[in-house]
Amino acid sequence: MAIIEVTGVSKTYHDQSSGRAVRTLDNVSISAPENDFLILLGPSGCGKSTLLNIIAGLTSFDDDGGRVLVQGKPVTGPNPKLMAYMFQDPVLYPWRTVLKNVEFGLEAQGISKDERRERALKYLRLVGLEEFAHAYPRQLSGGMAQRVAICRSLALETDIVLMDEPFAALDEQSRILIGDELVSIWRQVRRTIVFVTHSLTEAVYLGQRIALFSARPGRIKLEIANPLPRPRSIGTAEFNQMVDTLWTQLKAESLASIKREPAEQEKILLPKE
Amino acid sequence: MHRVPPALTRLALILALLAVWELATRLTSVNVILIAPPSIVLWEIVRVFAGLSVPDFYLNAGITLAEIAVAYAIAAVFGVLMGIAVASSKVIGDAFEPILLVLYAIPKIILYPVIVLMIGTGYASKISFGILVGIFVIIFNTAAGLRQVEPNYVRLAHSLGYGKGKIFFKVELPAAAQTILSGLRLGFGYTIIGVITGELLVVNVGLGFLIDWASVNYHTAQLYAVVLITLAIGVVANLVVSRLERRWVR
Ligand SMILES: Nc1ncnc2c1ncn2[C@@H]1O[C@H](COP(=O)(O)OP(=O)(O)O)[C@@H](O)[C@H]1O
Ligand SMILES: [Mg+2]
Repeated sequence: MAIIEVTGVSKTYHDQSSGRAVRTLDNVSISAPENDFLILLGPSGCGKSTLLNIIAGLTSFDDDGGRVLVQGKPVTGPNPKLMAYMFQDPVLYPWRTVLKNVEFGLEAQGISKDERRERALKYLRLVGLEEFAHAYPRQLSGGMAQRVAICRSLALETDIVLMDEPFAALDEQSRILIGDELVSIWRQVRRTIVFVTHSLTEAVYLGQRIALFSARPGRIKLEIANPLPRPRSIGTAEFNQMVDTLWTQLKAESLASIKREPAEQEKILLPKE
Repeated sequence: MHRVPPALTRLALILALLAVWELATRLTSVNVILIAPPSIVLWEIVRVFAGLSVPDFYLNAGITLAEIAVAYAIAAVFGVLMGIAVASSKVIGDAFEPILLVLYAIPKIILYPVIVLMIGTGYASKISFGILVGIFVIIFNTAAGLRQVEPNYVRLAHSLGYGKGKIFFKVELPAAAQTILSGLRLGFGYTIIGVITGELLVVNVGLGFLIDWASVNYHTAQLYAVVLITLAIGVVANLVVSRLERRWVR
């Protein structure tokens, strides 16, 4: 049975200033089996974050028969014992040490001080930041900060980890290195990861399965398995072929989303009839 | 080349100023009623502390310090609470912020006669005036600090299962601490100004009374001595609060 099951979910945002309704997700269905590394791939603005937030219980969805089940139960709000959520930015609290930042999620669950520390250190060790445990976030580079954020998510030891473009702000080299770390952690401590990205390379490099979004209103256009053996390397013939397949599909959607932008602006500029 | 430490430069400047002042009063025929030389002022300060100079120095200084302490305690507690209220509730913010801004902008001194009429000439009116002068910067800094908290800080805590109350104490308050503390530091200085101003406007006790007493009796050396002591209290108090601020915000 799938650990995450999204069935027929739609989402309409109501823009308060213009009063316009924007349909962001249209009848989306997707599921993830246990231990999946599922990539949500699509052009900017297609609703990837919205879907991830809905799964995380951070955003509501339209009440028109759609369902989100996680471990067979409907999602009603954030559930940090079941799902860890990771933002695009590291979001570390500057007044807490690295260790205390990693422990922050565990504190909410009333886990004992010793166990918190032990778990936090375990994951800091996994990403090679143990010696920075007592440093403050301002002393870290962007890549290090993002690794601390990964530790904070993983330390929750949830079955599911949701990640929204977690490496988007990093330079390419750090992205690859941290991606490697994430995959190796995922293989050591099996978790179900749902990973949002707009990068084809990242999708093929990391993902076990890739779900491709259409331009807005977002729909799942294509779901494909990624059979490339690990460890993967960027630029091999198989790798490029995979990227090409995705790009062929994605191209049309990206064009659609780019074309719409000027059209939308016109709509705003036009005087009211 | 070694850089001269700023503290040393400062000291040199002050000493030079004192020397010029001393020489100017000694070598010219300016009446000591108008300008007392530093050597005499210094001696007068010693006499003040020995209780030989101005009437009831320790009693009056104690009264002023007590007024400042009470006024600041109230300004700090209510200032922070009101700042929290203004920042956390749109209804309260919209309703009261314009009023607070007007009160903040006007010279508080025009309200002093009203305060005296309402609550008399005793300690309460000086304390009230100290609060009035000191509280606004505390309110506004608290509100501004809380409003400027990175929205992601709150979203993260929410996603980790923290409720509203815990988010406030564990995330919003520490995130705003720096701004709130600098409001508290500025507010402290303003409270001191308010209390002493109050004492100078309605003269009966306190350091303000001693300043006034020395002034109207042409005890120029005593006047300088008490003014300097009052200044020193302000400087020391500010130093202590800055230290606390730096220790809390790391
Ligand atoms: N809180 C919101 N209010 C109104 N519209 C929103 C909101 N969040 C997202 N949207 C709209 O939904 C669309 C999809 O957003 P998002 O899910 O962030 O896309 P993605 O993550 O794929 O870039 C965007 O076009 C955006 O304008
Ligand atoms: Mg997004």
